[in-house]
Amino acid sequence: MKVVFRSKFYTLYQSDKEKCHYLDMDQKTIKLSFCQFLALRTKVRNISIEDHFDSDLNKHGFEVLMLCNKEHLFVLNTVELLDLKSLVEYGFLSFDVDQLVNTIA
Amino acid sequence: MKDIARLNMSIKVTSLDALNDQIQMEGKASSSYLAMASWCDQNSYSGSAELFYRQANEEREHMMKIFKFINDCGGNAISPEISNINHDFSSLEEVFETALEQEIEVTKSINKIISLAKKTEDYAVENFLQWFVKEQLEEEKSMRDILDLFELMGREGIAIKLIDERIK
Repeated sequence: MKVVFRSKFYTLYQSDKEKCHYLDMDQKTIKLSFCQFLALRTKVRNISIEDHFDSDLNKHGFEVLMLCNKEHLFVLNTVELLDLKSLVEYGFLSFDVDQLVNTIA
Repeated sequence: MKDIARLNMSIKVTSLDALNDQIQMEGKASSSYLAMASWCDQNSYSGSAELFYRQANEEREHMMKIFKFINDCGGNAISPEISNINHDFSSLEEVFETALEQEIEVTKSINKIISLAKKTEDYAVENFLQWFVKEQLEEEKSMRDILDLFELMGREGIAIKLIDERIK
């Protein structure tokens, strides 16, 4: 398995053999098909980080994240959520960069 | 490293985001036309109401066309959340002016996605959106033709009723 991107708390891997991704969330590692990874991306992008800084909108500053058709459940704080957001963004960016490098090479 | 994204999806991730935004826009346009139809019905402009009910359906069809395309390409289409629909208008002309402005915004958005698709060499998306380019030309024209009627026939009393009767 190759590392696609490593953020402060999490690591995204790609398995060419299984044609899937693995996300090491520290507490556990989850297997993601591309479709599930896309769904995770949408979910994470739609979370409003601004709400975490407004005690009326998000009193405790936690986010409950359910993944892979409710197979996994994570409770993330603001810092962890920011980290996951960057992992997802940079993860996809890494795919593009990798393909660009392959095309040029 | 294998291009897993390409193995699973025929379009680019950037296009996927743009198309999902377009779904949202078409969904909002559909709801907006429904609000216009409601206003026209309440103010006894039955011809215009009929047109806006039809337009609402058409916009929904456009939305579904994009929705299906994304899923057919292996992407993840997102069902839109619609809010902040305006229900208040001061005249029938204002309703049609709003409708035209809305169509122009949709056209601009379609053009933007095509530019993006060209830039990223996402030809499937570019090809798919050509139908929308033609459609938007027709939509804009029909709204402009109606607004021309106000210039020709006036904005007072019976003229408005006659305009409404011509709109179907």
